Amino acid sequence: MPKHLVTLVAQRALLAGVILLLWWIGASRLPSFVLPGPQKVAQALVSLWDSETFALDILTTCRRVLLGFGIATVVGTVLGLALGASRLLARFFEPMLALFNTVSSAIWAIFAIIWFGISDTTTVFVVFMTAMPLILTNVWQGAQTVEAQYVDLARSFHMSPPQILLKIYGPTILPYFFSGARLAFGFGWRVSLVAETIGASNGIGYRLRQAADLVQTDQVFAWTVLLVGLMLVLEGGVLKPLERRLFRWKAFSLSSRPASLQTN
Amino acid sequence: MNLAVSYRSSPYNPGHAVLGMPGIGMAPALAVSGIAKHFGQQTILGGIDLEVRPGEIVALIGPSGCGKSTLLNILSGLLPPDAGHISIGGARTTGFDDWRRVAYMFQEDRLLPWRTVRDNVSFGLEGSAVPRGERRRRTADALRLVGLDGVATAWPHELSGGMRSRAALARSLVVQPAVLLMDEPFSRLDPQTRSQMHDEVLRIQADSGMTVIFVTHDMEEAVVLADRIIRLAPHPGRIVEALEMEDLPRPRIPTEPEVAERIRQLRVRT
Repeated sequence: MPKHLVTLVAQRALLAGVILLLWWIGASRLPSFVLPGPQKVAQALVSLWDSETFALDILTTCRRVLLGFGIATVVGTVLGLALGASRLLARFFEPMLALFNTVSSAIWAIFAIIWFGISDTTTVFVVFMTAMPLILTNVWQGAQTVEAQYVDLARSFHMSPPQILLKIYGPTILPYFFSGARLAFGFGWRVSLVAETIGASNGIGYRLRQAADLVQTDQVFAWTVLLVGLMLVLEGGVLKPLERRLFRWKAFSLSSRPASLQTN
Repeated sequence: MNLAVSYRSSPYNPGHAVLGMPGIGMAPALAVSGIAKHFGQQTILGGIDLEVRPGEIVALIGPSGCGKSTLLNILSGLLPPDAGHISIGGARTTGFDDWRRVAYMFQEDRLLPWRTVRDNVSFGLEGSAVPRGERRRRTADALRLVGLDGVATAWPHELSGGMRSRAALARSLVVQPAVLLMDEPFSRLDPQTRSQMHDEVLRIQADSGMTVIFVTHDMEEAVVLADRIIRLAPHPGRIVEALEMEDLPRPRIPTEPEVAERIRQLRVRT
C-alpha cells in the first residue's frame, strides 16, 4: 500500500476514535434520552435490523426519492436544454428560477400536505420541487457553454440535429448535469425525510418522528448512523467511480498524472 | 491506402478513378460561377468565377477582408452564397448532401476533448451511413496515413501541436474526400512542424489524387504547396490574378534559389 494511503487510513481511524470517545464521555454524564451512548445505539441498530418493517421502510423511502429524482431529471434536463437553446425562453422564464430557489423545501412540504395529504405523492412532490431547479440550472448553464465551433464541425460532417445534440451537446453538458444531479440527489434525499415526518405513514422519515415522539432517542441515533453509512457507500461506491469513468478525459490535466511525469 | 512516399511530378495523375466518379473525365473537381456574398450593406464577394481541375492544388491568398475565407466557407457548402452556382465533379449542387465528398479542415484543430484520438478521427464518418466495421477500418487507415496509429487511445490534450494537426487532418481524410478544403490549417504551428505537415499533405495528395484548395497568409506555404495561386483583392472581394506554379519543379525547398525567388516575387505583388 502506498505511504500516503496508510497515513490517510490512520488519520481517519484516529478521527473516528476521538469522536467515539467524546460521545462515550458525553453519554456517561447525560441521561440516555438526551444522548444515548454508542453501546445503546448499537443495540438499537440491531433491533431495527430485526424489526419487520425495516426493509420496507428503507425501500419505501428509496422508491419515493428515486421517483421524485427521476422525474426531476427528465423535466429539468428537457427544460434546461430548451432554455439553453432559446434566449427568448430563457429571459422569459428566468424569474421562475429565482422563485424556485427561494421557496424552501419545508414550504413545499406544507403545500404538498395541503394538496396531496398523507400519501406517496407528498414526498415525491417535495423531492421533485427541490431537485428539479438544481438540475435545470446546471443543464442550462452547460448548454450555454457549447462551442459553436464544434457544432459547425459536426455540421461539416453532415450530422443531423439529433446527432449534434447527442455528440456535441451531450458530452459538453454531462459534467454540469452530473454535478447538478449529485447536488439534487443529496438535497432530495434529505428533504424526503422532512416530507415523510409530516406527510407519510411509513418510510424512514416517519419512523424517525415516531421514535422522537416516543422519546426513543437511541432509535433516532440508530437511523442517523444508518443514513450516514448509506450515503457514504453511495458516494464512494457509485458516484465517485462513475464520475472518474465519465470524465477520464479530464483526469490527466489535473494532478493524477503518473508521478514519473511530474518529477524530473 | 498506400503509404509509399512519392512526390507528384504532374498535377494530372491518370489514376483519378480514385474519385469514385467514373466517366467524369476532365470535368472540374469544383467550379463556381458568379458567386456573390453580402453582409448587410457590404459586398464581401462580388461575382467569383473559378474552376479547379481534379488533383489540382490551389492556394487562395490576399489581404484580410478580401473574402478568401468567405469563399472557402461557400465552397465547403456551410455558407450559402447570395448569388451564383457551385458544381462538384461537373454536377450542379442542389443541397448540402452533394458535398459529402468535400472535407473541410478548419483553422483550429477542433478536436473534441472528450474523445480519444481514434474517436475524434472516426467522428468524421459518424454523420454518414458507414457500417461500424468499415468505420473502424477506415479510421485505422487514416491514423496510419498521418502516422498517429501509435497514439490512437491518447486524449487530445496529451498531444503536441503537430500531432493535433495530424489528427485533424486524419479526421478530414477519413471521409475519403475528392476535394479537401483547408483554412490556414497550419498557421498555428512552428515553422519546422508546419513544413512537416506540408510534406504530409503533398504525399497524401499524390497517393489519393484528391483536389486541395486552401487559404493562406504564408507566401512560402502557397509556393511550396500550390499548382496555382489565386490572388484576391477587397472592396468588393474579387480575383485579381491566377499564378500558374506548375513549371516550378517539386519537391520545392524554400531555401533553394528558384523557390526562394518565387516566394520573393509573390511577396512583392501583395
